[in-house]
Amino acid sequence: MNLKVEQKDELTVVYLEGRFDAYSAPDVNSQMESLSEKQETPQLIVNLQDVVFVDSTALATLVQAMKRCRQKDGDLRLSDLKQPVRMIFELTRLDRAFEIHVTEEAAITAYRA
Amino acid sequence: MRSQLSPDAQMLAAVVSAQRSQFKAIAEAWLTSGASSFSIWAENQLLKSWPTDSEIATAAMRAPIRLNGAEIGELQVAGIGTSAAEALLRSEAGLVSRLARMEKELKGMTARLIDTQDQLLAMYDLTEATRNQLDMGELLRQLAYKTAQLGATEGSFLMMKQEDNSLFIEYYPDPLLDEEIMRSCLQKVQKTESELLLNLSETEYSKAGLRNLLFVPIRIQGEITAALGLINKRDGDFYAPDTKLARVIAEHAGSRLEHLVLYKESLDQTKLQVEADLAQRVQLNLLPKKSPQISGLDLFAGSRPASHVGGDFYDFIKLPNKPFTFTVGDVSGKGMPAALLMAMTRTVIRTKTNVEPTPTPEVILDNCNSELYDDFTEVSMFATVFVGQIEPKNNQLVYANAGHSPVIYCPVKGEPRMLEADGTAMGVLPTSLSEDHTITMNKGDVLVVATDGFSEAENTAGEFFGYDRLLKVVKVLSKKPAKAIVEGLYETISNFSAGHRQDDDQTLIVLKTI
Repeated sequence: MNLKVEQKDELTVVYLEGRFDAYSAPDVNSQMESLSEKQETPQLIVNLQDVVFVDSTALATLVQAMKRCRQKDGDLRLSDLKQPVRMIFELTRLDRAFEIHVTEEAAITAYRA
Repeated sequence: MRSQLSPDAQMLAAVVSAQRSQFKAIAEAWLTSGASSFSIWAENQLLKSWPTDSEIATAAMRAPIRLNGAEIGELQVAGIGTSAAEALLRSEAGLVSRLARMEKELKGMTARLIDTQDQLLAMYDLTEATRNQLDMGELLRQLAYKTAQLGATEGSFLMMKQEDNSLFIEYYPDPLLDEEIMRSCLQKVQKTESELLLNLSETEYSKAGLRNLLFVPIRIQGEITAALGLINKRDGDFYAPDTKLARVIAEHAGSRLEHLVLYKESLDQTKLQVEADLAQRVQLNLLPKKSPQISGLDLFAGSRPASHVGGDFYDFIKLPNKPFTFTVGDVSGKGMPAALLMAMTRTVIRTKTNVEPTPTPEVILDNCNSELYDDFTEVSMFATVFVGQIEPKNNQLVYANAGHSPVIYCPVKGEPRMLEADGTAMGVLPTSLSEDHTITMNKGDVLVVATDGFSEAENTAGEFFGYDRLLKVVKVLSKKPAKAIVEGLYETISNFSAGHRQDDDQTLIVLKTI
């Protein structure tokens, strides 16, 4: 799976692409870890527009990344979930743990509000 | 004066002195047959003459002593000059020539033998030093040290490409080359598959004291992924014998490294296997051996582990003066950490049910989450957990659901539906969001609490079984007893995903009011 990072002022947007599962999770995890380590108050948006599948290891990876950010008074918010991915978040009620936005712009606006 | 003699002439002198009595006999034969003197010369220097005390008369006959075509000395006789005598003297000189040649060959052989013996000893030493060496760094260090010793060089190094493409390098005595040149050397020898000899005296490396480098490829499991380097041959350049020796060391190093790589691989494999076996034992031993008997309830459970163990669990908790409690959960992640967390979660749920005065599912989940939140965070996992309680007297089902699915309630009248979670999985947030919900079950109603191994079972076309199919199958099977529903669900899932590997555990509890 591909991972691209774009810094938009104080916000870090992470674009993931492909199948996010037990095979790709360790790599994503280490990159996310270094992202949250680098910043004093990591404010991340993970854009899931191009993610077609997430399994439980992927969810655990996102949860861990979110916890790391919140520990440093930052946050990790999600945007642009495709329908199957959104369903998984709803079924596991992770939509109550994460702040999820329809679009990246909405996530950015919410951060800056 | 002797010191000015060439090595070959010196050898002739040694032969003459070693065979003194034989030469004396020859000389006496000449003197007896009328010669006035007999003498042996090496490069115009007199080695020996007979009679011993007299002046040497001018030679009447000379016969050259040759070695490999070059004249290294001669025999001289004075006082006789017949052609028969001349022929005799020539043949004697011929014999001395052969003697000298044999002596020279013997010397050469002895020298080679000593060399070989030295190398054998050194190789033996190398083999001993590296035998049973199971630490990669230490092995490379030993090899580098011995290579410098054996190859008579000022320095050496052993390098090996790691799985992540980085280079593992050990130098003796100090790092002299940068990684860049090593990498390019390795690429070269990977192409040519033979050693590389570099003269560095005209390059920038000469400033660092480098003169020459012999870079020898090492094959590990058929591929050139390592190399040894000999730096600065003592007293000169690298020649063919050095290359040959380096190849032998490289071969030995290759076999030691291969041995180590294989050993590490099998060790890793064994570790993984042991861990998987342990995890499976933990998981299987914690599942209830059979379903409890509860009046008014028909209960059955099953768990089918995937080849690599997931973290599914289920439990029945039947305690005096407490409502009958059952739980199904799924720890994200695999292997030993998942199995341990599963065991902990199960234990904490049991304990909370036992010690809380009114342990409703919501209370159990909340307490359990608070207790295990840090542990879940530590290993970056979470667990979806469904906890249900049923009061057989009035068939009231109370449940709380922490992110778990699928849970299907199939009433005897009406359509089956999912009991969706309201709280997120255990270990995600510091406080649980799951609340108690109540359903009054009628006779014949069915509750199926399964894990996502059912809904996410995949067929060969890459389709998931999904919730819709699951709801339909439960509806069809709901008339049957709990055991038959469990078996029917397993059968349906097996048929659906025939030919596709089972990726996740498939665990479920079926509960029917009777």
